[in-house]
Amino acid sequence: MKRRDFLKGVAVAGAAGVVGFPGIWTQRKAAWAANGEIPVGILFSLTGAVAVVERTLHDAALMAIEEINDNGGIHGMRLRPYIEDPASDPATYADRARRLVLRDNCISVFGSYTSASRQAVLPVVEGRDNLYWYPTLYEGRECSRNVMYGGAVPNQQQQEFVPWLAENFGGRFYLIGNNYVYPREENNVCKMILNQIGGEAVHEEYVPMGHSDFSSVINRIRQANPDVIFCTLVGDSDVAFQRQFHAAGFDPEQLPVASLTRSEVEVKAMGGEAAAGHFSSAPYFMAHDSPENARFVEAYQRKYGSDQVTHFVSEAAYFQIYQFKAAVEQLAPSDITATNIRAAAVGQTFMAPQGEILIDENLHTHLWPKVAQWDRSGQAKVVLESQQRIAPEPYWAYEGQRCTGEGLVTS
Amino acid sequence: MNRTFKTDCIGYALFAILLLVVIPWAVSFDGFALNTYARYLALGMVAMALALSWGYAGILNLGQAVPFALGAYIMAMHLKLQASAHMPGGLPDFMGWTNVEALPWFWQPFHSLPVTLIAGIAVPVALAALLAVFMFRGRITGVFVAIITLAFLVAVQLVFIEEQRYTGGQNGLTGLAPLQLLGWRVDNYSTQFYYLVAVCLMTSLAIGLALVRSKVGLVLKAIREDASRVRFFGYDVARYETLAFCTSAAIAGWAGMLYVLVLEFASPTYMGVAFSLAIVIWCAVGGRESLVAAALGGIIVNLLEGRLSDMFVDGWTFFLGALFIVVVLVAPRGLFGLVQSAVRHAGKTIRSERGGARARWLATGMGARRIDNGGR
Repeated sequence: MKRRDFLKGVAVAGAAGVVGFPGIWTQRKAAWAANGEIPVGILFSLTGAVAVVERTLHDAALMAIEEINDNGGIHGMRLRPYIEDPASDPATYADRARRLVLRDNCISVFGSYTSASRQAVLPVVEGRDNLYWYPTLYEGRECSRNVMYGGAVPNQQQQEFVPWLAENFGGRFYLIGNNYVYPREENNVCKMILNQIGGEAVHEEYVPMGHSDFSSVINRIRQANPDVIFCTLVGDSDVAFQRQFHAAGFDPEQLPVASLTRSEVEVKAMGGEAAAGHFSSAPYFMAHDSPENARFVEAYQRKYGSDQVTHFVSEAAYFQIYQFKAAVEQLAPSDITATNIRAAAVGQTFMAPQGEILIDENLHTHLWPKVAQWDRSGQAKVVLESQQRIAPEPYWAYEGQRCTGEGLVTS
Repeated sequence: MNRTFKTDCIGYALFAILLLVVIPWAVSFDGFALNTYARYLALGMVAMALALSWGYAGILNLGQAVPFALGAYIMAMHLKLQASAHMPGGLPDFMGWTNVEALPWFWQPFHSLPVTLIAGIAVPVALAALLAVFMFRGRITGVFVAIITLAFLVAVQLVFIEEQRYTGGQNGLTGLAPLQLLGWRVDNYSTQFYYLVAVCLMTSLAIGLALVRSKVGLVLKAIREDASRVRFFGYDVARYETLAFCTSAAIAGWAGMLYVLVLEFASPTYMGVAFSLAIVIWCAVGGRESLVAAALGGIIVNLLEGRLSDMFVDGWTFFLGALFIVVVLVAPRGLFGLVQSAVRHAGKTIRSERGGARARWLATGMGARRIDNGGR
């Protein structure tokens, strides 16, 4: 009898809910800028597999928005962030991006970490000529007019790093990465550079995403006896590999691991002990010495806790909001549209924590590549800093193809 | 015309009204909302496909996402080839990156739309048939079916991720052209597109209902209750199970093709364990004993997921999880079971009230007569 009463209650409540709450069938609508606000989408996963990293990007982006709003906004207009959680699932990214662009009328969306999620969002922003600000380093070979690329492309990570490694440790590289497009493309570029400077790739191998048992890999490394481990493992795989590599007793002075993907986040997970002595190449490290960076790290830790780290993707998530601001400042309030922002953004400079950056006409960013060596505390000491800002060339390794202000040009 | 058949007809008609009239009207034909609902409908369709094999034949298929994703990839291959027409050799961009020289043979047929549409259903069916023959001829039942289908799912996904040269790997197939259907350039934000998906769902639902209402459906239900007894009656149990399994795969493949049109890319997450288990949840929430309810379950759960994530950016997954637990505890037969017991309860009340009135009438009548008698 009790259960029946409960069922009745549920039925009544359900019916009342559907009748009295028609909002469940319809969608929220919002007009933009009418009330002096600039709507922007924030699309980083707060749940799921990549949430650990994307949460930091979310935090960094929101911190920049808050800073801008606290300092009077842009021409007196506040940035209004529309926050969505795409739950680390590409289909959900596509769904939430539609919401932000079509329903909430955001004039730009800031988001995502993996290439798969960027690709999932592309049809939406390209179909509506919106702008997607993507802070992550990636494999290049893309030239969308609707994505603002804030991270490094292969030439910015490798053109100084690989020759430097070969010079200091020797030219026999062992390439290992997870099996997806980023490691394969980076390794293509690495092999090309090695070819030019007379080095060689002694072995190239790919493990599935999330792979965590590297005993056979370590055996193969022993047999191949390379000079450098060139590592494009990501996330859990990188952590597991480095721990096992360290436990196997390799000496970083004899055989360093040179990573393109390892940031403060991964090192925190694997422990400074395991990472100490090895190298990463990126435009930004938390320990980089500049007044802008000191301010950034201080503000970040004050806001989110002193145990938090900043890293080369969260720095970009942060400065891209300022790049957006610099572009919008060029426009009259009535002209603020995604396409005008794109036009105004080209050529804009900003003093980012890593140094003064510039948006290229191909919508990628001119950056300051650095090579750093990890220490036991989980921080990286910058050992090689580029003398000049390096231009982004997403098709660097492919002769006859260039990404320009008119899109991809093939000659 | 028996009672359950009538219930089915009413359910189907109400569902049709909801899909074809209520939803488009409620969102006032807004392109974005219709696109969102088209996505829910495609997911409802695959939930319905699972109910066909799980609810009616008792085959708990944890790999329902495999036929769905195959349909999706086949449609995406066609659209990718359309988008790559201007590339050297018509080669999709990701193949160029992974140093593939020429278009592989198994991509060739998908230049043709008719072949694609047929293959989107035929390939999942063929694969399902192959698996079914091994499983059901070997008289594998219950939890072992679940384990085998789950393992199959993981294996297929691994192949798609590892064979990056031919499948696009982790990123899947992206950068697709819009579909050209009989000279109509399909715009996935249009009202016509929504109706295309809705009509596909209603059609597949009609096919499913026709199957479960036929003699085959009766045998399937008997198999679900006691396979050995059906076998002793002389029925070829494996053949019936295979039929249910393959029909389910066909509808899932069909749904997958529509899903790609909605989202404009195909991803290996479409055949992920999480997604495949989600289908089981939708089916369970709606009620696996009714095809309409299962489809509705798929739509409702996804709608709720969308709404909840809108209202509570932090912790929406928590609410969703709590909802699933409540459903399993309170309504183990899903919303369908809830509605059914509510209807039965109402029926009983009416009947008992009628009974009470009759008793009163009898009592007063008798009493009156007795008084009358006494009076004489």
